[in-house]
Amino acid sequence: MDGGAFFRPAQNWGGEQIRFMTAGSVDDGKSSLIGRLLLDSKALLRDQAAGLDGEDIDLAALTDGLEAERAQGITIDVAYRYFATPRTSFIIADAPGHEQYTRNMVTAASVSDVAVLVIDVARVENGVLKPQTRRHASVAALMGLNLIVAVNKMDLVGWSEQRFEEVRTAFADVAGVLGLRDIAFVPVSAKRGDNIVHRGAGADWYNGPTLVELLEGAQARESQSGGPLRLPVQVVLRHGGTRSYAGRIESGAIRPGDKVRVGAAAVEASVAQVRVGGVGVARAEAGVSVAIELAEDRDLAQGGVIADAEVRYARRVVADLCWLDENAWTPARRYRLRQGALETQALIEEIRYVRDMSTLANAPANALKLNDIASVRLGARDPILADLYAELPGTGAFVLFDPDTNQTAAAGMIREIVE
Amino acid sequence: MRLAYEYGGALMGGEALQGAALAPVAARLDRLEAEAVYILRELAFYERAALMFSGGKDSAVLLHLALKAFAPARAPFRLLHIDTGHNFPDVIAYRDARAKETGLTLIVREVEESIRRGSVRLPSPTASRNAAQAVTLLEAQQEFEFDALIGGARRDEEKARAKERVFSHRDAFGAWRPRAQRPELWGLYNRHIGVGENMRVFPLSNWTEADIWAYIAREAIALPSLYYTHTRTVVRREGLLFPVTDLTPPREDEAAEGLQVRFRTVGDITCTCPVESNARNAADVLAETLSASVSERGATRMDDRANAAAMERRKLEGYF
Repeated sequence: MDGGAFFRPAQNWGGEQIRFMTAGSVDDGKSSLIGRLLLDSKALLRDQAAGLDGEDIDLAALTDGLEAERAQGITIDVAYRYFATPRTSFIIADAPGHEQYTRNMVTAASVSDVAVLVIDVARVENGVLKPQTRRHASVAALMGLNLIVAVNKMDLVGWSEQRFEEVRTAFADVAGVLGLRDIAFVPVSAKRGDNIVHRGAGADWYNGPTLVELLEGAQARESQSGGPLRLPVQVVLRHGGTRSYAGRIESGAIRPGDKVRVGAAAVEASVAQVRVGGVGVARAEAGVSVAIELAEDRDLAQGGVIADAEVRYARRVVADLCWLDENAWTPARRYRLRQGALETQALIEEIRYVRDMSTLANAPANALKLNDIASVRLGARDPILADLYAELPGTGAFVLFDPDTNQTAAAGMIREIVE
Repeated sequence: MRLAYEYGGALMGGEALQGAALAPVAARLDRLEAEAVYILRELAFYERAALMFSGGKDSAVLLHLALKAFAPARAPFRLLHIDTGHNFPDVIAYRDARAKETGLTLIVREVEESIRRGSVRLPSPTASRNAAQAVTLLEAQQEFEFDALIGGARRDEEKARAKERVFSHRDAFGAWRPRAQRPELWGLYNRHIGVGENMRVFPLSNWTEADIWAYIAREAIALPSLYYTHTRTVVRREGLLFPVTDLTPPREDEAAEGLQVRFRTVGDITCTCPVESNARNAADVLAETLSASVSERGATRMDDRANAAAMERRKLEGYF
């Protein structure tokens, strides 16, 4: 209960922090790539790097933490890892490639600024990407992540520029369908360490940035402090005769004196006091956990929202869903929906389509099973914030829980407001 | 390292960190604090939540954050310590004093009691009791029907911890099921549990050791004095310094010596080793941490050195 550090503390620990995720199809060399990042950026402390300086080091052994995955030889869960370069410190959310664990990739994507997708160049045949690669690209697109494609095992194809370009072209087609923009490609050999941290003995035809240089240039997700105010109330604090509404600002900023709208009825109120850690402040913005006192006595409870004057609520929305539960959805099932601090009942009224991951075409469906990505129309018992994920990711996202098993059933992103 | 050398002096004073020159550090700590406070407030969902408070540095930071999260109201938690009976007296005194200051109820349950009851059997009277804590913890959880237990574990500590969720669901046996972990998205945590189940919650998941020390310096959080430099009688063994105590006497061929040391972690006396250090305060420790070359559990925890999968196995059995 009182632990030390497993990872080497970042040298520039006070610097900018980028959170990125890694994804790749099984055997594309993702664990080796992470091992190489940690090894070459000297993120490993002396006792962990012991015996790792030979030619045939087991890079994957550095990252595969669980006994079960050591036994199976595959990565099975999301793991978080830390390293830093002289400019930037990083948290890696390492997501698995194995198909039935795509839900873990969704998890990793939801807390990442950028995604690194690893593709084995030797296994892209006739310019066709594997279904899992398309799935991973699709998840990144859904969740609004920028993408870096690491074309791995270039040493196995003699650093062929033509093979690299084939992957690029194949990926461009997929990206076009998905609406992904700003994709960077880098040819690498994780095993040899070429173009990961060091340039190495790679291709003479490639003069672009290394993987680490691309990551250093990646943007942390834009601050939401310029947006409209959204403050979901996690808990109402009572002290003496007064109440404060405690929660984290998901978007916008708040000051004492501000006129706000509270709850689903959007009742007008004014802010009397803004506290951070119990101390009054003149202003707080997105990302900060605050406690607010209102000047007026208003009916606002846990799950309600303090918002700006333009706020709108909805009972019916169109949303993209990633189905995460082993129990499939059938029309009779009701779920618990969580948006911000609110939990309410929800009903999937219609599956508009399920995306076929091989063709990226949209197909009709009347069931949702593990790993499906679908567009649905969804109704909620209580009004929910009518915020679009593309504009307000903090409140445009929601999750569904199965009320019988308590499993997390789906990740959702609001795309359109119906009513 | 660079930061600590340039700003080592400034870090000693809490207010100095608010200065413009240290904006990136302050912003980083602010972000971590906001996240931890958010997670702690999520715990208002539970009827009977307990915060694991051992008197160690991570639990001291956790308690400080819990008080901030609910201020000006009182934090809705009880404090729980699973005492191995092999703790340093200094740490126990700190634990009791700190609990009293906060006005929160402190519950202490002892591994010794589990031994008397027969639910724990140790290979020898001086064997490490770290693993046995899991049994006593489960017994305490059931006795008080805690539905949530809040711990100070961080993902940077150890490989198995690196895969842990912030809200980690445990079945009625307290066991962690790495394959059945619930996906955790956008901070929209799934807090629901079934009858007899409980949740383990880790608000410091994304903190690193350096973050902990910088935060202790900034917030002027008091700690047990053995975290800082003091003279102690030790023996050198297997590349580590072993403290000489009644429980851990020197072997026949070993010469005890007095050295300036500090503890990097304060667990069970029988398996916690100090390191040589002249660090007098949290800022000094931060400077040393940033230039460390051996991971902390590797350096000071004999129980983890036993096996690469030691931690994971203990977690499966209900350990934090």
